[in-house]
Amino acid sequence: MIQAAHLCKTYVLRERNGLFRKKTRKEIPAVKDISLEIPRGSITGVLGINGAGKTTTIRMLASLISPTSGTLTMDGIDAVKNHLQVKKRINVITGGERNLYWRLTARENLRYFGNLYGFSGKELEQRIDRLLRTVGLTEAQNIPVERYSKGMKQRLQIARGLINDPEYLFLDEPTLGLDILIAREIRELIRQLAKEQNKGVLLTTHYIREAEELCDSIYLLEKGEIIAQGTKEELAELFQYKPRLAVQTDLPADSPVWEALRQRFPDHVQVSPDQPSAFQVEGNAQVWSQVLNLLLEHQVPVEKLNIQEANLEEVLTGILRRSREGKA
Amino acid sequence: MLIAWSTYQRIRIGILRAVPWSFVVSRVLTGVTQIVFPYFIYRYFMAGSLSVEFAQYTGSADYMTYIVLGSALNVLAVSTLMNIGRALITELREGTLEMLLLAPASRTAYFAGCLWEQTLRALLEFGATLLVGALLGANLWPIFSLRALLAITLAIFSFFCMGILLSGVMLRTRDTYVTQNTLFFLMNVVCGITFPLQYLPGWVQHLAQLFPLTPAVALFRSAVIQQEPLAGQLDLIGQILLLSALYLLAGALWNKKLERNLMESIFG
Repeated sequence: MIQAAHLCKTYVLRERNGLFRKKTRKEIPAVKDISLEIPRGSITGVLGINGAGKTTTIRMLASLISPTSGTLTMDGIDAVKNHLQVKKRINVITGGERNLYWRLTARENLRYFGNLYGFSGKELEQRIDRLLRTVGLTEAQNIPVERYSKGMKQRLQIARGLINDPEYLFLDEPTLGLDILIAREIRELIRQLAKEQNKGVLLTTHYIREAEELCDSIYLLEKGEIIAQGTKEELAELFQYKPRLAVQTDLPADSPVWEALRQRFPDHVQVSPDQPSAFQVEGNAQVWSQVLNLLLEHQVPVEKLNIQEANLEEVLTGILRRSREGKA
Repeated sequence: MLIAWSTYQRIRIGILRAVPWSFVVSRVLTGVTQIVFPYFIYRYFMAGSLSVEFAQYTGSADYMTYIVLGSALNVLAVSTLMNIGRALITELREGTLEMLLLAPASRTAYFAGCLWEQTLRALLEFGATLLVGALLGANLWPIFSLRALLAITLAIFSFFCMGILLSGVMLRTRDTYVTQNTLFFLMNVVCGITFPLQYLPGWVQHLAQLFPLTPAVALFRSAVIQQEPLAGQLDLIGQILLLSALYLLAGALWNKKLERNLMESIFG
């Protein structure tokens, strides 16, 4: 198990405000007092918006950067002091198209990274064959990466991250920007890695649904601090949010239908301030159908309907607000 | 050995796929122009005459051989320093540095792979410079000797050691052009490539001794022009080895320290 206790990371920024002026020193706390555990065979999620400290946390856990304070152990070994030993047992997979040699083919990339971890010969070639099959790149293995699509590059990233058969795997937004089908394939693969291959997986993501679907335990990060943590069942209440129905009509501002809507659904209907003919309906499907029926009664044509999911920022804001209200 | 070999292959494949063969012409011309212009000046402007001091300082009146050997070794120095120096910053620019640093691979082996790959290319330039030099009248037959070969090997090793430190400098400053071009210009002027060091002010001559190229080019010339055995040049060999050790140690220590702080200084 990887155990992090009271990890802090403060970046020191030195800026020169003129050619001959002295540099000014600025400290930027990126991560503040984070404690978390990554057991083997499970997926631990770290959720947070941009700038929450997710990537810094991953880099500390992966021994790429040293924490300013706090302790980090891997199966009882001090991971900060023994970072070379730790590196053999971990790997990192990031979202995006970096971390691959674009002029090399998939096989050449995997061979090179395998060599960097000390693997070679038949053993490595067999492992590459297996990984290429796993990520579905066997057919495209001899094409230079620069000709790959975004999804293919991401799948190759996953194969690269598995080249040393790591015991712990850090996934930094691995489905970022991918289409739904590929993202689903990757999520399934992540689940298999943890559940079938007993790897300890840390997953950072923007997507609440992804965290809910995959993670056994979740940490919510906001401005470098953990604001909530627990199993997904424990956090289900915190994640409670109701989707909204966005309705676009051609109702004029002075239509009596507005008054009817406000009177019957005072807690559910919100008129968009920038679009007077559009409104949003909160609540469940029953409320939505009642609203639509009312429009039907008044023979108001609906131009557009859209179900809006809450984004992570809104959920985090809600959690923070509730937490502050609780403290008050 | 595995990491050095695979790094060699990885760079080689990348270059062969990215760079057209015509690029070889440009690289060869770089070395050749270094001797063609001094040749024209010497032959047609100076009409082949040299000052008395030149022979005193160099122990020879053969300017073409002098300049061809200096330029050829300078080509080798520039190429080695440039490719070793910018190896890591290239990884940073291509977005692969993070994964390279994450792997528990030896950095020395990685750099050895870079050296191996670039030396093969640099030797092409080196050879072209010598060939054109020979056509222009330089007496280069003594180059086919063990002592000359050892002098070249020692020179490449010293450039490699300096390149390790330069790699840290480039990565820290995130600059390749200013760093390498300033350094290469300075080396070209002060290391005795096209004229004897003694023409320079005393303090510049002292400064020149900090560059491995200065004793390396002196050793190379003594092996080829004077055909002196290496045993008679222990002071030059000692200086090359000492400078190499210092640059290697400084580079390795700095890079090690830099590596731990690199991720935050670059990505933080």
